Amino acid sequence: MENLNQEIEKKEKELRKIRLAFLNILEDTQDAKDWAVEEKNKTMAVINNFTDGLLVIDHENKIELVSPTIEKLFKEKKENILGKSIFKINFKKIKLKPLIEILKKKKEVYRKEIELGEGILLEMTTAYFDFGKRKGILVVLHDISKDKIIERMKTEFVSIAAHQLRTPLSAIKWSLRMILDGDVGSINEDQRDLLEKTYTSNERMIGLINDLLNVTRIEEGKFLYKPEKMQMEGIVVNVIQDSEDVIKMKNVSVKFEKSKKLLPPVVIDEEKMSLAIHNLLDNALKYTPEKGKIAISLEEKDNEIVFKIKDTGVGIPEDQKERIFTKFFRGSNVIKMETEGSGLGLYTTKNIIDSHKGKIWFESEENKGTTFYFSIPV
Amino acid sequence: MSKKVLIIEDDKFLRDLLGKKLSSLGFDTVLAVDGEEGLEKIKTEKPDIVLLDLILPGINGFEVLEQAKKDPSVNEIPIIILSNLGQSEDIEKGLSLGAKDFLVKAHFTPQEIVKKLQVFLS
Repeated sequence: MENLNQEIEKKEKELRKIRLAFLNILEDTQDAKDWAVEEKNKTMAVINNFTDGLLVIDHENKIELVSPTIEKLFKEKKENILGKSIFKINFKKIKLKPLIEILKKKKEVYRKEIELGEGILLEMTTAYFDFGKRKGILVVLHDISKDKIIERMKTEFVSIAAHQLRTPLSAIKWSLRMILDGDVGSINEDQRDLLEKTYTSNERMIGLINDLLNVTRIEEGKFLYKPEKMQMEGIVVNVIQDSEDVIKMKNVSVKFEKSKKLLPPVVIDEEKMSLAIHNLLDNALKYTPEKGKIAISLEEKDNEIVFKIKDTGVGIPEDQKERIFTKFFRGSNVIKMETEGSGLGLYTTKNIIDSHKGKIWFESEENKGTTFYFSIPV
Repeated sequence: MSKKVLIIEDDKFLRDLLGKKLSSLGFDTVLAVDGEEGLEKIKTEKPDIVLLDLILPGINGFEVLEQAKKDPSVNEIPIIILSNLGQSEDIEKGLSLGAKDFLVKAHFTPQEIVKKLQVFLS
């Protein structure tokens, strides 16, 4: 009997221990559950308050998660989106086709611009995930409709302003020219000298406005207007010819070394390519002292046409090389030289080369010279 | 007989400068300050050549060009656009509507404009 009692007591103790252990486990589970719920709430709070639209599509192409921003972007209630196949869904107010086309390619995209209807412009980013059992795609949609409107207004403004500026400048140009040409009577040498200088300043202003207009066009994305298959050589020859007066005035030798064999034609926009080459030559001329040398060459290399322009000019300071292609940038050494310049030439040139799917680079040493290269795929 | 040039230009100073230059070189100049007047003078004055601005009050230069080219009584008269627009699209549009040439005002001196006129008059 005593044994039995002892045994029972022992068991009871054990049971108490087990109970405690269970309670502990239960508590841990509850904690874990609470934690999971809290995490979920946190994630949902992030998703619900995310300014970009978030969409999760599962491995069966069903839409699994929709953030409130998506409802706004798609102009549809959550209930009409959730659980449906992304490939079969049809909305009244927007066209999902561009988005679906991208998903069909099964490749991740980063900030790809898509238009889901009149003036509805989005940037789409996708990320594929695979957590073993759970596979799918996360789609992030960033609304850029407003940005686009503002950008367009900005470029339109600059464009109109530039056209308006040209009118008074034309008037100044025409009247100065007529005075200088003696159309309104003779002028003395001092007057002529002064007026010639005024005329040159005015021409500079007209040139500056042209640069600004070109930059605006680049930013409008309308820059490549007429790509055609043609030889680069003729363009280079023409650009050099157009600068003949400046070349003579600067007393700098400009040599164009033509390729020995006939180069294959490339697809280029003649006007823009001329501008790109003109800007490079113009810089070389501006920043190369008298009696300096400029050598230009064209050659074919690895299915590319490589243009090279080497000068014996002032060079680009080492610490500024990174910024050379940025808008309005001018080297500290050339600002001191007081040569005019807008800081738009290389920016424009780089954009032109980029839009031809080409590359541009340079080598430079201060007070020795600079070589600019660009290549265009054949 | 001197050649008659119609200048359609809304800016008074530019209009007068060019008119003066052309008159001094023996041209007979007719001036118009906007699109309506320009179109009317193309028809009534029957000039030998027209210098046409694009940004004009009322109907713009493109419309003047289009309407002039539609009218069989005047569609043979050469029209040269002289404007401060000058983007590729504008040039393309002007030429496709039948303009003989497209000159950006700020890029030409009066003398150079006259040279261009003479090319189309001879």
